[in-house]
Amino acid sequence: MVLELKEVEKRYLRTPALKGVSLALEPGQVVGLLGLNGAGKTTLLKVAAGLLLPDRGEVQLLGRPPRAARGEAVFLPEQNPWPERRRPGEVAALLAGTDASFDPERFRRLMGFLEVPDRPFGQMSKGQRARANLALALARRAPLYLLDEPLAGIDLISRDRILKALVHEWREDAAVLLSTHEVGEAEGIFDRAVFLREGEVVLDAEVEELRAKGKSVVETFKEVLA
Amino acid sequence: MRWNVDPEAGPIFEQIANAVMAALARGELEPGDKLPSARALAEELRVNPNTVIRAFEVLEQLGITETRRGLGTFVREEVDVDALKRDRIRRAARRYLAEVRALGLGLEEAKAALEEVKEEDGARA
Repeated sequence: MVLELKEVEKRYLRTPALKGVSLALEPGQVVGLLGLNGAGKTTLLKVAAGLLLPDRGEVQLLGRPPRAARGEAVFLPEQNPWPERRRPGEVAALLAGTDASFDPERFRRLMGFLEVPDRPFGQMSKGQRARANLALALARRAPLYLLDEPLAGIDLISRDRILKALVHEWREDAAVLLSTHEVGEAEGIFDRAVFLREGEVVLDAEVEELRAKGKSVVETFKEVLA
Repeated sequence: MRWNVDPEAGPIFEQIANAVMAALARGELEPGDKLPSARALAEELRVNPNTVIRAFEVLEQLGITETRRGLGTFVREEVDVDALKRDRIRRAARRYLAEVRALGLGLEEAKAALEEVKEEDGARA
């Protein structure tokens, strides 16, 4: 098991963000974390990454609390975390010097595959920034990738390139948990879909089984989250 | 051959397996031909590699393909293309017949329509 959440609760002041969330990820799985804005997707990813501590429940990353297993999970935030004047190549050089799991060769390959120009983040389109950040995230060798809305608000070509890169970089020994509220184009790459509504998992299903029952992920999304 | 999958049209592994059988029946793919690797096909279709692997397993179980160690997946030389053709035309016939019945018509009208359409196509060509 790469990641396991048991009955996780998280509140912000009085507002509950996660209400008893249980979830498990095996190596090789690509799992879609689906829900509308405000459903708790980002909170769940941050708890899994060890960036937030749950108020209740248990989180295990490779059998350890996430904070003890730091560096085992790669978290890709929705917003560009790098200074606007920096180039991805500069950030990569910095990461290569401080993070043993960062593979500069892999990063160069990903930048080519994702067709990202090495110019300052501030001079990139939203789609280019998203692709650059994905290259930086996937260039780290890790058993778990937590990707927060990597497809949101970017152009169609960038979304398609990102999906292609995720399939290209798929490994049997790593799991991916990817949150999105735009299900359509992404649904083919998922093994499983976890539907989150108001901080609760309302459905956790194998996507091919949903399809065998005559329902696509998009239809299920509308049904369980409406 | 061209591959198309639609996530709204049933399990993707079935669609991939069906696409291979359809391509064989149409002659777009021939016995002995090599299929793309599961990873390459997954990338092209933007689908999970496990889904393509599952499709290839189904094709192997049906005796249509075989995996040669280190070389890839191939269409078996002994595959019965005529049987695949019969199977596909029967499926198409079943869909057509369902439409004919839904219209409250019978086999005579169905045959007549086929003849008519064929003549029209012939005249156009």
